[in-house]
Amino acid sequence: MRLYTTSALPLVLGGALGLGAGAAAAADLEFYFPVGVNAPAVATIDELTSEWAAQNPEHTIKPVYAGNYEETTTKALTAAAAGNPPQVAVLLAIDIFTLVEEDVIVAISDIATTPEDEAWMDSFFPGFMKDARFEGKTYAIPFQRSTPVFYYNKDAFRAAGLDPEDPPETWDEMIEMGKKLTVKDANGNVTQWGTRIPNLGLAGAWMFGGLVVSKGDVLSADSGTEVSIDSPASIASLEFLLELAEEEVMAPGGISWGDTPKAFLEGQAASIWTSTGNLAFINENADFDWGVGFLPGGDGPGAPAGGGNLYVFKDATDEERAAAIDFMKFMTSPENAARWSIATGYVAPRPDAWELPIMQEYVAELPQARVALEQLPYAEREFATFQRAKVTQFLVEAIESVVTGDADPAAAVEAAQEKADDVLGDYR
Amino acid sequence: MTADMSRGLNRIALSTVALVLAAVWGLPFLYSVWTAFHPEKFSANFQWNAPLTLANFAEAWQAAPFALYFLNTLILITIVLVANLILCTLVAYAFVRYRFRWAGLLFSLVMVQLLISPEILIVENYNTLNTIGMIDTIVGITLPYLTSAFGIFLLRQTFLTVPKSLDEAAQIEGAGAWRVLWTVYVPLAKPVYLAYGLVSISFHWNNFLWPLIVTNSPEVRPVTVGLSVFATVESGVEWSLVNAATLMTTAPLIVAFLIFQRQFVANFMRAGIK
Repeated sequence: MRLYTTSALPLVLGGALGLGAGAAAAADLEFYFPVGVNAPAVATIDELTSEWAAQNPEHTIKPVYAGNYEETTTKALTAAAAGNPPQVAVLLAIDIFTLVEEDVIVAISDIATTPEDEAWMDSFFPGFMKDARFEGKTYAIPFQRSTPVFYYNKDAFRAAGLDPEDPPETWDEMIEMGKKLTVKDANGNVTQWGTRIPNLGLAGAWMFGGLVVSKGDVLSADSGTEVSIDSPASIASLEFLLELAEEEVMAPGGISWGDTPKAFLEGQAASIWTSTGNLAFINENADFDWGVGFLPGGDGPGAPAGGGNLYVFKDATDEERAAAIDFMKFMTSPENAARWSIATGYVAPRPDAWELPIMQEYVAELPQARVALEQLPYAEREFATFQRAKVTQFLVEAIESVVTGDADPAAAVEAAQEKADDVLGDYR
Repeated sequence: MTADMSRGLNRIALSTVALVLAAVWGLPFLYSVWTAFHPEKFSANFQWNAPLTLANFAEAWQAAPFALYFLNTLILITIVLVANLILCTLVAYAFVRYRFRWAGLLFSLVMVQLLISPEILIVENYNTLNTIGMIDTIVGITLPYLTSAFGIFLLRQTFLTVPKSLDEAAQIEGAGAWRVLWTVYVPLAKPVYLAYGLVSISFHWNNFLWPLIVTNSPEVRPVTVGLSVFATVESGVEWSLVNAATLMTTAPLIVAFLIFQRQFVANFMRAGIK
C-alpha cells in the first residue's frame, strides 16, 4: 500500500545514471498521451517509451495515460497553469491555436535548428504538416494521424448487382449505387441502408469537413482566425446529406459516430464513412468480404486529416527540450511509425515508413490500409480556429439542425458564420 | 363499480407502472450483462443459444492493472468517507447545539458551496496541491473532498429533528457535549449516515476527471481511470469489452448495495414508524 509516490526516486536514479554516462545532460520527461483507438495501444506506447529509455540511460521518461483527447488537453493545460506541465504530449492537431494562445507550447522549429532537425521535420507528408504549422513556425510533429475512408461491403455490392471492385467515386455515383444498396423487407422497412455518414457532434463536423474539401473549399484558414462556413461548397455538402436521406440511401436524421462500425458489421449499412482507426476492428470482426475506397467526392476526391500531434511544452529546461526532441525523433522514426501504425490503424505519417518490409508485409495482408495513403494528397486540415471548442460548436449546431430538418442549409450556415465571425473578430 | 374493484384496478395500474419503470432502469443493466458474457458478434444480436464466454473479462482485466486500481479506489473512498463522517458530524452538531455569532452567515456560506460544481475548481485545486507537493498521491485526490457541504446540511437537518428533551435529559444525567453527541444524536441519525455513506461512496467510486488530472502514476489511480481506456472514441466501441470492464468495476458497488439494502430500507422503515 503506497499512499505517496516517491517521485524523487526516478530523479535520483536518473541523476545517478546521468553522472555515470558522463557528458550527456540528464532529463526526466513526462509524456501525456490519450487513447483514441483500441486499448492495446497503451501497451505499444509503453513498449516504445521503455525502448527509448533503454537506449538513453541518462534520461528517464514517464508515459502518463491522460484519458481521451479532450481530457488530455484539460490535464495538460491545468498542469501548465500550475507550472507543472509535461515536457511532451500528444494532443489534437486542431488544438494548436488553443495551445499557442495559452502560451504553453514552444515552436519545435525554434529549438530544433540543425540541418538534421530540419530534414526530420521535412520527412512527413505535407498533408499532415499543414495543421502543425502556424505563422511560419512548426509547432507539432505528426504522430497519431488518421483520415476517414469509405468502407464497403463487397457481398452487398454483389447482391445489388454492382461491381465489388468499383466503389462509388462521386456523390452522384454514391446516390445511384446507394439506391440499389438499400434493401427493404416485405413491410417496406429498411433492413440495409446504402451508406452511413456520421453527422452528429464533433465527428459529424469532421466528416462534413471532408465533403466540403471535395467541393474545393476548406472550412477554416491556416491563420486560425477565418472560417468559411457559409460557402457554396458548404451548402452543397449539406444538400448532399439531405439528398442521401431523401433518396433513401441513408437513414434520415442524426447519425452517430460510435455506432457506425457496428452498423457496418451487422449489415445495417452496406457502406460507411469512418476513420482508418477502424481498420483493425473491422478486419477482426467482419464476416463478409469488404473493401476500402476513397471518400466519394463532390467535384473530386477530398478528405479531412485528423488525429493527434506531438507538442513540446514551454516550461521545459534546455536539457529537457533536447531530450524531448530526441524522444520525438525516436517515436516518429520510420520503424516506430510503422509499428505504431500497424498496432493501431493510424496512418504512418511519413513516406519512408511505408517502404519498410514490415509495412509492406502489413499492406500485402491488409491492402485496404493503403487507400488512406493514396487519398492523403487530397486531404486538407480539419476545422480548427482560435476558441475552437466554441466555434466548432456553431458548425456542429448548423449541421445537426439541417440533418434533423430544423433549418434549411443556407440559413443554418449563415447563422453559424455570423456567430463564428463574432468570436474570431477579436483575433484578427 | 364498487370501491373494492377500483382499488383492485388501481393496484394493477400501479404495478404495471412499477414494472415498466423497473424495466426501463433494468434493461441497460441486463444488456451490459448480456454483452459482457458473449462474444462481440452477439452484442446486438440476441440469440438464446449464443455461446457464453468469460474472454471479455479476461481481456479487460489484462488491459489495465485493475487489482491495483481497486485497492486505490478502496483507500480513496475510505479516507473520504471517514473524514466526511467525522467532520460533517462535528460541524452539523455545532450548528445545531450552539448559539454563536455569525452562525446564520456561516451556515449560508456552507450552503453556497452546494452551488459550485467541483469541476470549476479543478485548476485552483491543482495549483494548491502542486504548491504543497501532493500531486500524484491518493491523499491529494481526497483533499478537496474531505468535508462536504451536502453532508453538513443533511446532518444538520437531521439533528434539528432530535427532540430537545432527549438532549436535556442526557445533560441532567451528567453527559458532556461529546457524550450527548455520541449517545443521543449519532444513533438517531443512523439511517441518514447510511444513506449519506452510500451516496458518498458511489460518487467517489465514479469520480473520474479530478483523479485523472491530479494523478500520473498507475500506483495511485482509481478504477475509473482504468475503465476509460476502453472508451475508444476514434475506432468503434467494443461493447462486450466495455461492458465486461464496467461490470467488473461496478460489481463491488452493486454487491455492497445488495448487502446493505435490507438494512438501509429497514432503517428508513423504523424511522418512519417512530
